[in-house]
Amino acid sequence: MKKFDIVIAGGGVIGAACAYFLSRDTQLKVALIDIKKPGNASRASAGGLWAIGESVGLGCGVIFFKTLSKLQSESKGKDIPVMRPHQLPDCFFEFALASNAMYPALHKELFEQHGVDFKFERTGLKFIMYNQDDRIYAEQITRGIPHLADQIRWLDAQQLKEEEPYITDDAIGAIDFICDHQVNPYRLVDAYLEGARQNGVDLVLNSEVNKVLRKDDRVTGVTTQEETYYCDTLINAAGAWADTLFNKATGLNMPVYPVKGQIVLSERLPKVLNGCVSTSDCYIAQKDNGEILIGSSTEEKGFDTTNSLDKITELSQGALKCLPILKDSNIKRCWAGLRPGTPDELPILGHVPGIKGYINACGHFRTGIVTSAITGKLITELVTGQETSLDLTPFSVTRFFTQE
Amino acid sequence: MTHSCPVVIVGGGPAGTAAAAQLGKLGITSKIIEEASKIGGVIYRGPLRNTHSLPHLDDNLKRAMAALQTRYYANRRHIELLENTRVLGPEGTHSLLLNKGETLSNIEYQELILATGCHERSVPFEGWQLPGVMLMGGVQLQIKSGLVQPGRKMALVGTGPLLPLVACQLHRSGIDVVGVYEASQFSKLAKEAVALLNEPKLTLSGLSMMGYLKKHTIPFYYGWGIVSAQGENALKSITVAPYNEHWQADTQNAQTLEVDALGVGYGFVARSQLAMLMGLDHQYSTVSGSIPTLDQWQHSSVNNVYVAGDSSGVLGADAAICEGQIAAIRIAQNRGVLTGKEAAQHAGKVMRKLERLKRFRSGFDRFSERQVGLMELAKPETVVCRCEKTTRAQVDIALAQGVKDITSLKMRTRLGMGDCQGKTCASYAIDRLYQSGCTDNIGAIKPRFPLDPIPFTFLEEQ
Repeated sequence: MKKFDIVIAGGGVIGAACAYFLSRDTQLKVALIDIKKPGNASRASAGGLWAIGESVGLGCGVIFFKTLSKLQSESKGKDIPVMRPHQLPDCFFEFALASNAMYPALHKELFEQHGVDFKFERTGLKFIMYNQDDRIYAEQITRGIPHLADQIRWLDAQQLKEEEPYITDDAIGAIDFICDHQVNPYRLVDAYLEGARQNGVDLVLNSEVNKVLRKDDRVTGVTTQEETYYCDTLINAAGAWADTLFNKATGLNMPVYPVKGQIVLSERLPKVLNGCVSTSDCYIAQKDNGEILIGSSTEEKGFDTTNSLDKITELSQGALKCLPILKDSNIKRCWAGLRPGTPDELPILGHVPGIKGYINACGHFRTGIVTSAITGKLITELVTGQETSLDLTPFSVTRFFTQE
Repeated sequence: MTHSCPVVIVGGGPAGTAAAAQLGKLGITSKIIEEASKIGGVIYRGPLRNTHSLPHLDDNLKRAMAALQTRYYANRRHIELLENTRVLGPEGTHSLLLNKGETLSNIEYQELILATGCHERSVPFEGWQLPGVMLMGGVQLQIKSGLVQPGRKMALVGTGPLLPLVACQLHRSGIDVVGVYEASQFSKLAKEAVALLNEPKLTLSGLSMMGYLKKHTIPFYYGWGIVSAQGENALKSITVAPYNEHWQADTQNAQTLEVDALGVGYGFVARSQLAMLMGLDHQYSTVSGSIPTLDQWQHSSVNNVYVAGDSSGVLGADAAICEGQIAAIRIAQNRGVLTGKEAAQHAGKVMRKLERLKRFRSGFDRFSERQVGLMELAKPETVVCRCEKTTRAQVDIALAQGVKDITSLKMRTRLGMGDCQGKTCASYAIDRLYQSGCTDNIGAIKPRFPLDPIPFTFLEEQ
């Protein structure tokens, strides 16, 4: 039996961020319990900090929205352009941008004080335009976010060629979101965890939470196969598996479900991309070790994490079209991750009415990497009873309970 | 289920070929997917170019090679060989993705036998990456299939029965073998006499090899092993030293030998990447690494998927043949070609032989059980994962920081993330985790699709 103030269930990027911020900003005794399961989204992620890109439906969401728009166009007639921007609500922009702004300082802090480098790179995210439809799409995107005009650069074909000489000559230009960057996703998780460990967090790795202990309306702890951990507050950071833990803690269910994304990775190449790239087919990012990462499919197939040739072919063709030099390279490996999806694409954060000692930090869908920092900060504020720096109301799980 | 579909066999080594031959004998057709241009596997494939004379190979080996060919040709009309073809991974639930030349294709199956063999167990020590330092399987491929001499002046280090065998083959190939260094003590081998008597013929053949080495004054040292290899761009010399019972080198009494090639043989691990990628349940074995969990009919946790030969646990070619036959008999029973009673009769003799071979082998496995000294050979700056250039020091730091499983170790150090998907470094990493006291849920380096790289151009729009 062990006693902690806080137990965090889940050691992906969200759980790890919560552990780091809690250990940095409070004196609380914290344990983090984690088991590696196939499909863990933080490890599978591309590591894009695409705060604007993701908020307007590019990057990781692009294939999803393309499919969605196509279905809508088909049902509404042919006059509507196939690609239409899919913009998330203002509360998400605020959430993602606030988080994104934290990374430069966080990178310095974790490197200087804890000796870990999560490979933060200032890259921008360029949406590459091949034709007039793409241009109309880009114009719609920028019209939708007038308050972020200073974060957007328009590049014509020649400027694009100068900045990204390896991108196809067929491109007619690009828009660049200048505040969108990238990290190495598993290094980020590792950096948070190592920082937390050095700050005194107990890392209970390789262990799975089996049971949640309750006394009346209060969560009092969890058990693993080896040990019982009592706590004042349990934080659910269980990613695509969050609903199972939520149910164990509250007896209720919430709509967090796995959304599979397949990724294609090239061999190492010399530097051929200066920034991250999204087209209407896929996103492409060259990572710190030279590999080119291409993503990502959006499939609802439960907890299945197999790869399929059809999706890999689609992604590869999308990438070849944009970056012809890939013709000289090989697919080194592919994988699939399980995004913790929610119906409105917003995360689920905060307390649950009627249950004491329990906090949700889950449902981060495509954007867990970019929003992990603010999530760690907000959860720390919540635990210590401070006023949260952003309003958590839009992210409460109760938004799914209102219809009853 | 319709039974017109041929049984698909991945790997045309002893296990796969024996399975196909046994199926053929029972009138069942099969397709063998083989990465090389001919059947036999590394052990029995023989030269990849035509030759009539193999003076460097002993008669036992030549007889065994011929016997496998005979089995194959006797049932040839039931067997389709897809040669020079590699399996890239599963595609859907009952299909594999294949690569031959510049084309990708799918093969569907109802029953599948995985007979993918084993690969080498790498042991990092100072200088292990120098050209001229080779693992024992590679040495064998050069002399048996490539018909080239791996070096002019060679030493062998490692453990187990392959050491004298390869030493004899090298000597017959005209190579100056300056010494053979067996890590374990002779007294340990003597204790296994009872186990070794399960296969008196194999034991005798081992003794005759030792006699051959003696006759040709090739020194064979028990309780000795590698310390380091030296050279600038290629191997120039090696340092060997007496090992204690924990295989810790007594460097005070080390010797340096000038050689241009070194064979290193501390064992093999099951080549289970495809089985893991297909989601078969696996367990960890000290001898063979990750091996699939099987019933006595070689059937895995996935319906209609069988695993035979070294990929189910490294036991050598004779056992692989038995296992291939057992899987084939079970498939015949499931198809209604044999009754339960007939299957039991057919398999009974084979299963008894397999048991004997296992008892024999377990003697050598105890004799050759890896000791802690082997992990102490790498210096802090020695690269242990050569794709990602991860050093021993990086692994040490990660373990000191509390890493307890292979996935976390991989995330932290990039060990296992390279092109070889951990085939080279995983054994060392797992041994280190065990050594540092982690025993549960260490996990395995999860193979990723595709098992071999796919050129992007294969997927271009046609």
